Amino acid sequence: MKHTHIIILDDAPVIREGLKSILDSLRNVHEVTTVSTFDELTHLLKHKDYQMVLINPHYLHSHQNQLQQLRSQHSNIKWIGVQYTVFPEELIGKLDGMVDVFDNQDTLFAKLNKWLDDNPNETSQNKESLTARETDVLRLLAMGKSNKEIADELKISTNTVITHRKNISQKTGIKSVSGLTIYAVTQNLISLDDY
Amino acid sequence: MKSKNDVHPDSKLAEIIINHPYIILMLEHFEISLPVQDLSISQICEKYSINKALFIAFTNLYCNKKGIPPLKLTADDALTITRFLATSHRYYSEQIYPEITQLIEQMSLQNNHREMKLVSVFFADYFKEVTAHFDYENQIFHPYVDCLVARDKGTAHKENYMDYSVSQYQDHHDDIEIKLTDLKNLLIKYLPVHNDQLIRRKLLFLLSEVEFDLNIHSKIEELILIPLAIELENKNKVVGK
Repeated sequence: MKHTHIIILDDAPVIREGLKSILDSLRNVHEVTTVSTFDELTHLLKHKDYQMVLINPHYLHSHQNQLQQLRSQHSNIKWIGVQYTVFPEELIGKLDGMVDVFDNQDTLFAKLNKWLDDNPNETSQNKESLTARETDVLRLLAMGKSNKEIADELKISTNTVITHRKNISQKTGIKSVSGLTIYAVTQNLISLDDY
Repeated sequence: MKSKNDVHPDSKLAEIIINHPYIILMLEHFEISLPVQDLSISQICEKYSINKALFIAFTNLYCNKKGIPPLKLTADDALTITRFLATSHRYYSEQIYPEITQLIEQMSLQNNHREMKLVSVFFADYFKEVTAHFDYENQIFHPYVDCLVARDKGTAHKENYMDYSVSQYQDHHDDIEIKLTDLKNLLIKYLPVHNDQLIRRKLLFLLSEVEFDLNIHSKIEELILIPLAIELENKNKVVGK
């Protein structure tokens, strides 16, 4: 599994350290660094490769030009806003995505993994193949189980099941359950007896 | 500035068809048959009593041009559109889906992989779903549009549809292209080939044709007919509704 370096930029220590302690338990995250000023962020980005920056959207307002410059210099970094109040649409539209401070751990992980996996430099082969978890979800889906039943069986949240389903459809190009069932048979993930 | 490729009232229809053969489908849905001689769009529209602006908007969709310009449409245009859509439904249900069903059956005979049985069931289920979708439009939504047109013209209509509205249709209107795209992906990427290359190619061409037409069909419904029906609904609100 590839390792990921993440920076959290927020001036509130509770948000910074709270997010860090949650992200530290994410399996494929190697290192989470927290900073409280934009200058510190700029400095870090100069010296090491990072895959994601979680940022308080108010910096988009106060450091508009600097941010634009950083984004063009580090085009492979995903910029994700941390939402804890309402920000104008035109501001958050500049980012790659948003997480909400009220997101539970599963939702947060599912969102972050989606952005981390969504790497244009990866080969199409990697993009096509399903992860072990996605294969589990697909197998149960093809056996006719609902999102809730799949969530219970795999001990994950329904939202995570939905995220896995989106990724499966994106990778295979197949959206309907009946189409995915045929796909599962072609890949020998289920036998016709299960169907 | 007008570009050479723009469709305008003086454009010769035959020239457009040469470069965009799927326009033939559009003509069939308008119940216009070939040959079209040297007729321009204006002349064809006059001959078949079709609003030129509407005809050009549809032609642009079939020429893969994105976007629909703001159209000033009337109640009569609503009837032209529902007739066009109803004719398209017959093309799907009576021509192309039965052809696809037949090709899948032939493919199953050639290719004895166990997945082929599932493909037959998959398409049969899709055909049933899509037939229900078309029946709903033919029997409920299109007659409702006829009723809106009658209200607009102040003429009588056999039904009054007091309890129905466009918003109910919008709630009911689901995406019928998903499974076709799924089937294309299965045939192109995953289903093992066994003596069926030729049939598979024919099947993929048919699926691409119907997918292309359905995509435009949905755009016509969502971007042209629904806004027009809402406009007619608002203009002639029935008192007490």
